[in-house]
Amino acid sequence: MERATRIAPSIGAIAAVILAVGLYLGLVAAPPDAVMGELQRIMYLHVPSIVTAYLAFSVVFCASILYLWKRDLRFDAVAVSSAEIGVVFTGITLATGSIWGKPTWGVWWTWDARLTLTAILFTIYVGYLMLRSFAEDPQAGARYGAVLAIIGFLDIPLNHFAVYWWRTLHQPSSLLRAGGPSVARAMLVPLLVNMLGLMLLYLYFLVRRVQLERVRHRIIEVRLRRGRRG
Amino acid sequence: MGSWGFIGLAYGVAAVAIGTFFVLLKRRLRGAAEELSALERDGSRRAP
Repeated sequence: MERATRIAPSIGAIAAVILAVGLYLGLVAAPPDAVMGELQRIMYLHVPSIVTAYLAFSVVFCASILYLWKRDLRFDAVAVSSAEIGVVFTGITLATGSIWGKPTWGVWWTWDARLTLTAILFTIYVGYLMLRSFAEDPQAGARYGAVLAIIGFLDIPLNHFAVYWWRTLHQPSSLLRAGGPSVARAMLVPLLVNMLGLMLLYLYFLVRRVQLERVRHRIIEVRLRRGRRG
Repeated sequence: MGSWGFIGLAYGVAAVAIGTFFVLLKRRLRGAAEELSALERDGSRRAP
């Protein structure tokens, strides 16, 4: 972790450069879509955001299982940190999807299966963060939070397959699908570059957020030690 | 609002969300580090 903290500025700088290239590719270099026109450019942000959010919640899921198994607070620090970042990226997904929906579907929001399940995902992890911040006993908060995070993760496969299982307004996945991406190369490259940029940004945020959690644990330790000494 | 208006709005919202998270994280990190060093300073003064 010490090493990760040391290289965090480099990760952040690389993420910033890749995102700048991704912005140029998505907003300037990529051709407009034959059906959606220029509006397609919102997808270069919307799709990488939800993929990054899925990554963040997958890390929460794994770290929560490891915490329940090993009872090591370092895993809990990773889980709570990743959940916070995942909520930010899910919020961006919901906002950019809504902004795309208004000119395309004529509404800012509709209770479509994919949209509703994404909103539920957002709510589950906001609830997780609230549970963590209101818990008086940090160990109990970590334990209940881990259980909620594991159950909440089930929403992700449900969300991914919602477009196949139910009749939805949202188009099926064109990237994470059997048989490979169905996107033209000129559009796939900006999508992948932005995805890489956002994932590196996630990694940067994760290292910094875990660092914050470690400092907080240290503060609690110092206070407890002092309390014992009287 | 035209297509580019919606595009600008989407990218703007994302930039504000990421920028705000970044600034708040830095601020929380600095605050926690200051609190810890104050506690440790205070502890080392009391220790003897």
